[in-house]
Amino acid sequence: MKKTGFLFDERYLLHETGPCHPETPARLKAVYQGIKDAGLIPKLTPIKASLPDLKWIRAVHDKEYIERFEKACLSGDSTFDCPDNRMCPETYKTALLVAGGILDTANRIMNSEIINAFCAVRPPGHHAEINKAMGFCYFNNAAITARYLQKEWGIKRVGIADFDVHHGNGTQHIFEDDPDVFYYSIHQHPSFAYPGTGREFEKGEGAGLGFTKNSPVLPGKGDGEYKQFIEKDLCSAFESFKPEVIIVSCGFDGHIDDDMSDIKLSTEFFSWIIKRLLKLADKYSNKRLISILEGGYSIKRLPELAKNHVDILINHR
Amino acid sequence: MFISKSMTKNVITINKDADILEAREKMDEHRIRHIPVITKDRHLIGIISDRDIRSAMPSKPLNDYKNKKINDKVLNLKVKDVMTIDPVTISPLNTIQDALVLIQKTRVGAFPVVDEKEKLRGMISVRDLLRAFINVMGMEDPGTLICVIVDEKLGQMKKIVDAITEEHVSLGSVMVARCWDEGKRAVFPYLLTQNTTILKRKFKKMGFEVLDPMQWYIDQQPKTHN
Repeated sequence: MKKTGFLFDERYLLHETGPCHPETPARLKAVYQGIKDAGLIPKLTPIKASLPDLKWIRAVHDKEYIERFEKACLSGDSTFDCPDNRMCPETYKTALLVAGGILDTANRIMNSEIINAFCAVRPPGHHAEINKAMGFCYFNNAAITARYLQKEWGIKRVGIADFDVHHGNGTQHIFEDDPDVFYYSIHQHPSFAYPGTGREFEKGEGAGLGFTKNSPVLPGKGDGEYKQFIEKDLCSAFESFKPEVIIVSCGFDGHIDDDMSDIKLSTEFFSWIIKRLLKLADKYSNKRLISILEGGYSIKRLPELAKNHVDILINHR
Repeated sequence: MFISKSMTKNVITINKDADILEAREKMDEHRIRHIPVITKDRHLIGIISDRDIRSAMPSKPLNDYKNKKINDKVLNLKVKDVMTIDPVTISPLNTIQDALVLIQKTRVGAFPVVDEKEKLRGMISVRDLLRAFINVMGMEDPGTLICVIVDEKLGQMKKIVDAITEEHVSLGSVMVARCWDEGKRAVFPYLLTQNTTILKRKFKKMGFEVLDPMQWYIDQQPKTHN
């Protein structure tokens, strides 16, 4: 039984960002190559891209924003909302294909066809706000998935664990007043890293107060601090929240060899954290875990990091 | 940069003959620490702070009969009994830099803003100045702060700004820490981008030092002023 899903599609390489941009098709090629070279593909349930019903994108993003994005893309604009967000005529469709592929993955998990999955996708999503593209992100993939699970599958409590080295401002803001989605993020301290949010006193708003948790980590720190924060902040939070499904915003950019941050995590740490998250999924969410690629820019390190990640998903039973 | 633009205009005020308990209630209700004391025609005659009230109160509640007299005395205290007469004030035409220097010098957290006729026009507090500081730092915009150490000589900032422009990056703000190691300045460009890798490399190539974030500081005072 191939109980781990693997979402990947060559069409995810069609979103071009031009020269000197770190969020390149080469990232995803490196991720795929690492998994393929390790002989893991035959052990996975393959999932391909598909176009989603737009109502699921609208469950998170403003209709006006979606139309504005489509229009900008089709008009041949090279950036959208801010110079960081480079795009090409294929960007809008690629972003949709990513969301559709992840929703298909979610269906398969909910149908018990698979128990967990890694979604090797780009563009990433966790910076995307309801009506603004930010930090290379257009549609908030994790947020769309969480809303889909709530509305289509009646999931009451969704837990999102985000270990990309940058704070997932978009995901936090989308769910900050929702007590049914717990958003946890561990990232480089916002005074020293993009986007400048994710301080420990950001804990949610209104009915959602207490359902957002941030662990900012100082520059130069690594495995020790991260492991302590995960145990102290994430594990205890999920223990009381008891998520029925865990969505992972999986960013490999905190690796010591990734120059997008000053955090110094080892390769081993990334294996440790997915094992830890799987244990939480065993305990609370009937093993259901969807890992979605966010950042990670070291072409040299991505193959091994992705291979380890997927290998652990496959072998965790 | 004038105080008149940054000050709080709808000021909570109090009469000198009010009880200090009323002053405390107003502070609690409006979450403020200072209330200017004014006459009917808005002439400033003093200021009462939460500290003035605390100092007038006994250190712990005095419930026994023996201390009833002290209690009664405290409860009957009026604003005029504990307020600071002749407080430090500032004019609407002063600047926020003036206010910063005045706070540093007097260690007072809020100033009544009075016009040339000594009439109260507003209040300016550390909180108002922080708001201005958050604004000029561009902290509400997503971006990344970096620190570049440059020699203290003409034209360094131009090189930094040119490099940023060449990479098509928007600049949210620039802070310069002028008091640094001998002959050096620390420049903190706040870049409205997630992608600072290329710029950091570029600055190093240009011969600048890109400082490790754990070594940053901006709060050193000019040595001559210590």
